Amino acid sequence: MGEKPIRGEQKTFMTGNEAVAWAALAAGAEIMYGYPITPQNEIMQYWTRLAPKYEKRFLQTEDELSAGFTTVGGVLAGRRAFTATAGPGNVLMQEPMSMAEAMRIPTVVIVQQRGGPSTATVIYSQQEVTLTCFGGNGEGLRVVYSTSSHQELFDYTIKAFNTAWKYRFPTFVLADGYQAKMRESLVIYDPQEKGIAMVPTEAYVGKAGAPGEDRAPAHLRNTYNIEEELVEVLEESIKEYDQMAPQITEYEEFNTENADVLLIAHGIVFRSVAMAARELTAEGLKVGYFRPITLRPFPQEELRRAAAKAKRLLVVESAYGQLLKLVKENLYGMDVPIETYLRPGVGITPEEVVTRAKTILGEEE
Amino acid sequence: MGKAVKIALAGEGGQGVQSVAMILTEAAAMEGKEILYIPNFGVEQRGGVSIAFVQIGEEKIGAPKFKTGDIVIALSDRAVRRMDMHVGPQTVFIYDTSIKGVEDDLPQNARRILAIPALETANKELHPRVFNILIMGAVIGATHVVSLDKAKEAIEKKLGYKFEKNPKLREMNFKALERGYEMVAGKGVA
Repeated sequence: MGEKPIRGEQKTFMTGNEAVAWAALAAGAEIMYGYPITPQNEIMQYWTRLAPKYEKRFLQTEDELSAGFTTVGGVLAGRRAFTATAGPGNVLMQEPMSMAEAMRIPTVVIVQQRGGPSTATVIYSQQEVTLTCFGGNGEGLRVVYSTSSHQELFDYTIKAFNTAWKYRFPTFVLADGYQAKMRESLVIYDPQEKGIAMVPTEAYVGKAGAPGEDRAPAHLRNTYNIEEELVEVLEESIKEYDQMAPQITEYEEFNTENADVLLIAHGIVFRSVAMAARELTAEGLKVGYFRPITLRPFPQEELRRAAAKAKRLLVVESAYGQLLKLVKENLYGMDVPIETYLRPGVGITPEEVVTRAKTILGEEE
Repeated sequence: MGKAVKIALAGEGGQGVQSVAMILTEAAAMEGKEILYIPNFGVEQRGGVSIAFVQIGEEKIGAPKFKTGDIVIALSDRAVRRMDMHVGPQTVFIYDTSIKGVEDDLPQNARRILAIPALETANKELHPRVFNILIMGAVIGATHVVSLDKAKEAIEKKLGYKFEKNPKLREMNFKALERGYEMVAGKGVA
């Protein structure tokens, strides 16, 4: 397997794309499949630079459909495999990821969101939330971690491999062009040295022994002849997904007791929201925040608990209501008013959040 | 709010604003500072105004981009116009004296506006190639976000392989750094 890529804890200063490549390496990923698209290109670039040194492999495919399907193939062969994409590439990626959902294939996909729809900008957005959570002709039986810093990109890329292989649902790390391209400090480490055991991988096909005699046959299907067959399989998957959910949902909250305004944001926008909440709190205002880290499954109970204590909510996102949709769905039946600050495809500064929150607080007086 | 210093550098492609940001943030990283550096990037590889947003402080940095900088440096006429939106009452705005025709486009609300003869000094006293290092010196003179020694170390790290072949280059780069620093330090902007 070659030597360990990282020894001890190392404080580094790098781009988010580089952090992902290092994390995949640290997690013991064996192969990356990919097709170039800004702003995720450098994940491939760094991986191809690092891979040969540690006997890892890389395959550039002809498009994202192929990158997704080869990732599925790599996993079927028992490899810890991953891919990365963005924007229109993420759209194409949905067909293979739908198959991964159907066959419970633990693929790992890193998404660096860019502006949409279509080619739009190569820069930044939070417009791939719905796509990443619910893309494909299925029920969204997948795990989506939304990161907000390079440290989290590193931590959650490692975690994504474990969640995927433990529960066998396709797992996504959802970041964005800012996180991809910016440089900031983080500590990289070897997961084993930190007591994080990597869930072992296993081949789905080509197992030893005679199927049906020495072992159960590998019966992998994404096609069914009758409706009842399909619903039986889906019900089982949905049951397992729901059982998994409370074990893996993650969130972060601050100052949720009797907040006059509870800010809700995810990903990089959460950083602006956190700064705004702290500043407003320092001014003596009752402002808290709630941040879902897993967008799928969503921390429903935790949000409902926080929202029940808030006078009103303010959803802030670089999209026109994709997080908002998740929030509304998970608060169904509650009557807490929801205000919004929706800026599709552009960054949001802490100052803007402060201004919006103050306007709302002012209106309330 | 964190007390990070917010720096925005803008220029034409090829003027080296991203290299300045790279070396400056490397120096800050070596000093153990917290840094967030994000370049603007788009589909146009050439021809746009290139901007580097840099924040350096003692604590973890918040959001990646900011509306108004503490120091905003513009190195071309287009950059002067483009950066107006990033200037506020706390901003020290620095531009090159060689930029013509922007008298009416200079920001109205800056705390301070400073014109420095960076290009002229680089061309006449040093070498056009060290213009960006001179600008880096000016940024340090305006902010003191890193020490000059650490900046030299970072330059060495980045360009050392070139210095090996031609030691005069090292001298010239260090000189440029110091000249840039002197143009701004002590002018009451930090």
